[in-house]
Amino acid sequence: MLHVKDPIGANLDRPLAGEDFRAAERFLYTEARLLDAENYTGWIALVDEDIRYWMPGMETRRRDDKRGPYAYGEMAYFDDTYAELKVRVARYNEPSAWADNPATRHAHIITNIEAYETNDPTLVAVFSCFTNVRNRNEKDQDVIHGRREDVLRRHGAGFRLALRRIFTVHNVLLSKNLNTFL
Amino acid sequence: MCKAGRPDMKPAYPQAGSYPQFADLVDTERSQVDRKVFHDEAIYQAELRQIFGRAWLFLAHESQIPGAGDFVRTKMGEDDVIVVRQRDGKIGAFLNSCPHRGNRVCMVDAGKKARGFICNYHGWSFGIDGRLVGTDGKVYDTDPDFEKHAITLTPVAQVASYKGLVFGTFDPNAPSLADWFGPFTWYLDVMLDNDPEGTEFIGGCIRSEIECNWKFPAENFVGDILHAYWTHQSGAQAILGGGVDLGPQYDERAFQASIYGHGIETNLDKTGNTKTLGYPELVDYVFSQYDKAKDRLGETRARMVGAISSCTVFPNFSFLPGQATFRVWQPKGPNKIELYTWTLVNKSMPEHIKELYRRGTMMTFSPGGVFEMDDGENWEYCTKANEGWVTRHQPLHYALGISSKIDAPDLPGHIHRGSLNDANQRYFYTRWAEFMRFDNWSDLMTAETAPPAKAAPGVAAE
Repeated sequence: MLHVKDPIGANLDRPLAGEDFRAAERFLYTEARLLDAENYTGWIALVDEDIRYWMPGMETRRRDDKRGPYAYGEMAYFDDTYAELKVRVARYNEPSAWADNPATRHAHIITNIEAYETNDPTLVAVFSCFTNVRNRNEKDQDVIHGRREDVLRRHGAGFRLALRRIFTVHNVLLSKNLNTFL
Repeated sequence: MCKAGRPDMKPAYPQAGSYPQFADLVDTERSQVDRKVFHDEAIYQAELRQIFGRAWLFLAHESQIPGAGDFVRTKMGEDDVIVVRQRDGKIGAFLNSCPHRGNRVCMVDAGKKARGFICNYHGWSFGIDGRLVGTDGKVYDTDPDFEKHAITLTPVAQVASYKGLVFGTFDPNAPSLADWFGPFTWYLDVMLDNDPEGTEFIGGCIRSEIECNWKFPAENFVGDILHAYWTHQSGAQAILGGGVDLGPQYDERAFQASIYGHGIETNLDKTGNTKTLGYPELVDYVFSQYDKAKDRLGETRARMVGAISSCTVFPNFSFLPGQATFRVWQPKGPNKIELYTWTLVNKSMPEHIKELYRRGTMMTFSPGGVFEMDDGENWEYCTKANEGWVTRHQPLHYALGISSKIDAPDLPGHIHRGSLNDANQRYFYTRWAEFMRFDNWSDLMTAETAPPAKAAPGVAAE
């Protein structure tokens, strides 16, 4: 059973190659394009129903602090199952979601993609970095930088998102809200 | 400096002054507030002196720092503060600034079992009691004039707890924390004392920035349930499958209470807030605990435990009963705040119930939460609009429910009928004006916002 508190099980000596790698890469870009277009219904169609989606709060801690910068079970921005992601999608689709009306302009910039096999042939482990830019109204701009660790499940010729760990570089979120998925 | 005498390193606690010209910007006769209080830099500096330099401010929950040397770093106004458990079990708080050149001595958010705090600049090291215990190298040890014993991190003048919540004030002359709350503790106990084992924070703290004046969110939580209907339609629709129902029946069992500017608006609907966290199991749990809470708190307050309700402890500590989100709106200039949020649960709750509160606050009142997401922009543009020279001269309307005050002998404080009402917000700004006007505590504690004399409504069982 996958759990966001565990490492994603990438076999670093077995990188995905050729078309298999390009398919994993294409999955991340497709997902980013759907989110840029605020197509949340389209996005959640790429998500497996046993998804775990976690973005912990990042604390500043001493190097010798055993807890480290985050700990599972503590305060987080997201620690969602499919049911919870669906609630968030439902809000985006409401006409009275004022923080998204007028529309927010999004750019989900995805880079540093690496994909590896796991010990389960149906699952692949993917690392990536992101810069998320949101701009709305005249010049309200919010930028979030971070890294992601994903598990994708093979699905036909493509993939579904089965697990995502999101680690931002930010201690204080430099934004009034987080009206997107990362 | 050339004369090179010995320094006087006694901690300094700045005195308050009096700003009647700012106090007059709150017009209680007309239920209006002048927008200057939301953007003016001189007023903001006066707030740091008059309010954040004197008020009891929320620091931490005792559960965050259970053992000696456990600490969290936070803010009091714009002052950086370390809150640390002492070896005798008491809690101390100190300015996070080395008395040598002023550098921070603690860079991290929290930690366990610290032996002390060392400045990275010249290696001055301080014990968890704030005293200077050592310096790097031998220079100071061989200087016969160096008075190590006289040097300490500046202690927060007073630190005290109320049922697990730790507060501090920079004013040595401030009244006790109990006097600061007065009978408002009767309402705080709804969350803090509905169970004999008390409360704790779930680990960690989510922080975010909002470009708004700190008073907008504080006044929102002190008494503005009205906004929920309009602002939070989308979140309610997503979680409950329907809008926020604040129809005529809503207000029948609702009221607002204010004491010294602290305020709570509440219904008596038992689980209205808890429902919005989206987990039926949590609602069942709150119902299952009702009889126990009733034995402890009486019927009225037992009905408030999960009810639609919001609260601000003056000036900037707020929470939502039933939804379990606790937060501080830290001021960062007149146009910006840093929001600190935590989740409070009863220690005795089963782990899976605590977990649902953690997830529920994340889903609702967190930067990505379906309710909080729509609050920030409102407060930002309430603040930004005042960039306009003419705009900033226009009055703001705080007059909903000006004839709704009732005696309510069984409820402590100034009570207004119904919670769709600006009453608590008027008291909040009246308290703000009292802090601007008065330079002494005897005036502050006997002013208009002080609670009217009433028979004791009954206290929580011990």
